[in-house]
Amino acid sequence: MEYARMKFYCDEHRCIECDGCSVACAEAHELPVGIARRKVITINEGIPGKEFSTSIACMHCTDAPCEQVCPVDCFYIREDGIVLHDKEKCIGCGYCLYACPFGAPQFPREGIFGAKGAMDKCTMCAGGPLETNSEKERHLYGQNRIAEGKVPVCAAMCSTKALLVGDSESVSAIIRARVSSRAKGASNPLVWDKAYKNQ
Amino acid sequence: MKKYLYMFIATLALASTALAVDSQIWGEMRIQNILGYGQEESLKLGPLFTMLQHQYFAWIFLGVLIGVPGAFFLHYKIIGPKVFPHSEKKYYAFNLYNRIIHQIAAISFIVIVPTGFVIVFGDFFGGGMFVRFCKNLHGLFTIPFTIVVIPMALMWLKEALFNLDDVKWFMILGGYLSKEKKPILAGKFNAGQKMWYWVAILGGITMILSGAFMFFLDFKMEMLHNVTGMSQIDMLRAAAIIHNVMGFAVVALFITHIYMSMFAIKGAVQSIITGYVEEEEVKILHSTWYKKLKDQGKF
Ligand code: HEM
Ligand code: SF4
Ligand code: SF4
Repeated sequence: MEYARMKFYCDEHRCIECDGCSVACAEAHELPVGIARRKVITINEGIPGKEFSTSIACMHCTDAPCEQVCPVDCFYIREDGIVLHDKEKCIGCGYCLYACPFGAPQFPREGIFGAKGAMDKCTMCAGGPLETNSEKERHLYGQNRIAEGKVPVCAAMCSTKALLVGDSESVSAIIRARVSSRAKGASNPLVWDKAYKNQ
Repeated sequence: MKKYLYMFIATLALASTALAVDSQIWGEMRIQNILGYGQEESLKLGPLFTMLQHQYFAWIFLGVLIGVPGAFFLHYKIIGPKVFPHSEKKYYAFNLYNRIIHQIAAISFIVIVPTGFVIVFGDFFGGGMFVRFCKNLHGLFTIPFTIVVIPMALMWLKEALFNLDDVKWFMILGGYLSKEKKPILAGKFNAGQKMWYWVAILGGITMILSGAFMFFLDFKMEMLHNVTGMSQIDMLRAAAIIHNVMGFAVVALFITHIYMSMFAIKGAVQSIITGYVEEEEVKILHSTWYKKLKDQGKF
């Protein structure tokens, strides 16, 4: 069957910088301190009329650069476009971070030398390569909500529904509907050109 | 020179303490990093690193790993090693200090180079525990090398400066392309050894610094940002590119160094173990030095 392409979209006109998404993410996945898979950023801060906020995490890019550079080839891209990686294979070299346009990969320090541990990033709440919903999967990758047919926790929690996750057609339909109801013309969401090559 | 040593250590120390300050990658800087990625007027280091690492680095390393020993294998088969008779007379060329410093560097490289290859071909080794272990060894054995690199640079600096002999040495490639044993112009170190000296010292320091960048990852050195005009993430990308490219040269000459000392000149490795060089070997391969030693009555 033909899989839908899953995308993140954050509506810059709606995001009120409440940080609900990043807090929900950290709580739901019980992330260690210092790791934030999702972060709200504000662009043009203090410039009237130009200031806006948006929520950033791994964007699950088309032709994901992280996957291209990994020396141990631990990434795999699901048919629905979700970019995941195998933490037991990862050696924590940092290459994916250098390749990533969004600064998504993060590294908890481990061991007595404080070397970079296995990389952590947003999974779009789709877990990892281990048995779905197993204790080990939850421990290493967090909840697997996609397997249960639930929306990723960040989008579910977003009070203004600025942050959306879904197959690209549904997301685009919502964007079109919202844009046409506004006086302002259409503009591409901030990071879409980099993440999805505007497809 | 001591001053530089202190500066060098201070830089490394600063790098680790600077870790505590606001993140240069996931903090406020992240916005600029995202907006700047692949931008027209920037260096485009993100896409550049991605392209190089994706398509070239591992293949070039494989080429060096097969090509350099391959060429030496042919050399060994066709031209063969240089064998010098054991002479009565030997000259004590490397004192205990020289040998200890060299041996520490040698052990470091024997660990650093193969583990580097394991990381480069990490997918071949299946990733996980073993490759992670090699990554940690790679970083750990950087420490002894860092300790000896400056003393080693200083103790052999005088002998490693290039001079006119070296031009002639390069013209005949040190005589290694012929079976003949006629005296070759060279001081205590010939041009090939000098080349290795500079790659091991300057290249080695480059490897230490670029490796340290990747290890510490998230630190801030205001001075560096001002001088280079680069953000931390771009400096990491540059470090990764430099570590790989310089790695090609270090690996190629490291293999050459081992071939020359262990195979091409039979028994040459003994000189750095015992400290004594054989008269015959010096007479032929380092004739300028031989003349000098002879004049001083050392042989
Ligand atoms: C004088 C020689 C070298 C020194 C001092 C050195 C040092 C380092 C250090 C300190 C790191 C960071 C380790 C970490 O992040 O845990 C590193 C990373 C790396 N080195 Fe080297 N290295 C040297 C030579 C090489 C060579 C010859 C290769 C390839 C054959 C290589 C391949 C790598 C790779 C792929 C990484 C990135 C992955 C990682 O960080 O684990 N290195 N190096
Ligand atoms: S945002 Fe970064 S980590 Fe996520 S898929 Fe793209 S390149 Fe990979
Ligand atoms: S940190 Fe892990 S996932 Fe990222 S490139 Fe290195 S091995 Fe691959």
